[in-house]
Amino acid sequence: MNGIAATLKTCLSIFRIKTAESLQYRMAGLAGATTSIFFALIEITVYTVFYKYSSNQNAGLAAGLSLRQAVSYVWLGQLLFLMQPNFIESDILGKINSGDIGVELCRPLDLYANWFARTASTRLSPLLWRGLPIIFFAVIMPPAYRLELPSSLSGMFCSLISTVSALLLCTSFGMLACSVRLGIAWGEGPTNIIMLAGSVLSGAYLPLQLWPGFLQGFLLFQPFAGYLDIPMRLYLGTMPPSDAFWAIGLQLAWALLFAAAGKAIMARKLRNIVIQGG
Amino acid sequence: MAQIELEQICKTFSISKRPEGRFSLLRGAFVRTRETVRALDSISFSIQEGELVGYIGPNGAGKSTTVKIMSGILTPDSGRCTIMGRTPWTERVAHVSGIGVVFGQRSQLWWDVPVNDSFSLLKDIYRISTRDYNRKLSELTQALDIGSLLKTPVRQLSLGQRMRCEIVAALLHSPRILFLDEPTIGLDAVSKLALRDFLKQENSKNAVTMILTTHDMDDIEALCSRVMVIGHGKLLYNGSLGSLKERYSKLRCIRATLEQYTAAFDVECSERIDVDANTWTVWFDPAKTAAHTMIERLAKALPLRDVIIEEQDIDKIIAAMYKEMCI
Repeated sequence: MNGIAATLKTCLSIFRIKTAESLQYRMAGLAGATTSIFFALIEITVYTVFYKYSSNQNAGLAAGLSLRQAVSYVWLGQLLFLMQPNFIESDILGKINSGDIGVELCRPLDLYANWFARTASTRLSPLLWRGLPIIFFAVIMPPAYRLELPSSLSGMFCSLISTVSALLLCTSFGMLACSVRLGIAWGEGPTNIIMLAGSVLSGAYLPLQLWPGFLQGFLLFQPFAGYLDIPMRLYLGTMPPSDAFWAIGLQLAWALLFAAAGKAIMARKLRNIVIQGG
Repeated sequence: MAQIELEQICKTFSISKRPEGRFSLLRGAFVRTRETVRALDSISFSIQEGELVGYIGPNGAGKSTTVKIMSGILTPDSGRCTIMGRTPWTERVAHVSGIGVVFGQRSQLWWDVPVNDSFSLLKDIYRISTRDYNRKLSELTQALDIGSLLKTPVRQLSLGQRMRCEIVAALLHSPRILFLDEPTIGLDAVSKLALRDFLKQENSKNAVTMILTTHDMDDIEALCSRVMVIGHGKLLYNGSLGSLKERYSKLRCIRATLEQYTAAFDVECSERIDVDANTWTVWFDPAKTAAHTMIERLAKALPLRDVIIEEQDIDKIIAAMYKEMCI
């Protein structure tokens, strides 16, 4: 138990130093925010057109998502999207490719725990410099484009917890991709495609509720709903707080599964790893 | 039992090769032949606590591979290795908490944050108590004179400054063994000398065992009581630097500056004489003739202005040795 506590403490330190490093890049964050806001506005316009002028104007409502909710979904989606692993963390990839992984292995620390902390920091830190301006902008928009308040206080609370679980889920999946990539020289394509699939299935491109009805059961239980869709439903109130318990449980279960798989793959690869470079 | 013991360590790598000849670039994209390279071929040695050992060999001889195996990050194909009673690769985490590693070509510091932050992270990673940490840090900071650098981001340090910080980072947890993989690469003369002094001090004061791989023979000459030479994955020499020199460079030379140019003529007991303008370089075997006898003979025959006795340049000895051993 003592060992686990000490490892956790070390991981927190790694998380801290990595976050301190990332938070230096203010301008990059602000520039990124501009992109996010631009895309959010376009998406909102497109949704408005579909909701108001389509031949079946009630389709969205029938799926349980009003236009106002869809607009809020877009804004928060832009925020939570930043947390998704769309690529392997560049630091780590660099270490794998150059052989600097050797330095990491000279530390009395489990490599998976070490990199998990790093990845978690990379997933979370854009939320500050890139995320805050998005939210600021979203709240001061004219009513038709504005981010709505949460449906209820308990819904907000559940959504926050679910967001933390989403961070763990995003990180553990990013780490799974990273473990697969370890010691392989076939480039980034395959891992990127796997991660992109996760992105699409998370609802970041189209809220999962607006997907075909027969897919809904699958969509809710597949792992990537936990990236973004579950915290969002809790925020918007399309999922009642009474369902939060199993929904968050589902997120954590997937996170645990990905972590176990990632750790097993990493352990196997480390046994016959080649450290590149002299 | 010795602190470090390697027995019959073997390691092979497989390397994919592109076929040669016509359209090799195109064919290489489809067919690839793999070739097995023996990086280490039955390496055995042992090192006692507190020794300072130089590990040399040409590029690609297997030096780094050995260091990687000893630091637990590579698993050999066969053989036994015991360091402080542990097998490095099976008990990696326990093993690495007792060793320090400096890779001259890699950095263990965080690039974009102040040096101090990297150090305090290491404090947490190695679970060093605050008291020990502060004591060791102030001791090292003083010895390597990096007090003014602690608040500077690593990216703004010069190579010499960074290398000093790297050494501190490797020693913060007071390891019993320190592996140095080309620590002086790219350093200027002053930094090199300072680094050598420090390593020597640390070795004698705290009895830290050090294994140094380098291509800088002056490093070896200044620091190491023992050298091991590796070539093509085989250990070719293991002993003192003195006997290595005796074996590969029996001759010594006298560099004599003359008042004016004098053409070469045979001097008794000289092995070879090179003349360059008004400088004579006379080679002789110190086992047969004493140096002062040689100088006497030269003084009688030549208008001497200045005389220097030199040993053969260590780089040349090593080059001759690599050539003789066909590596």
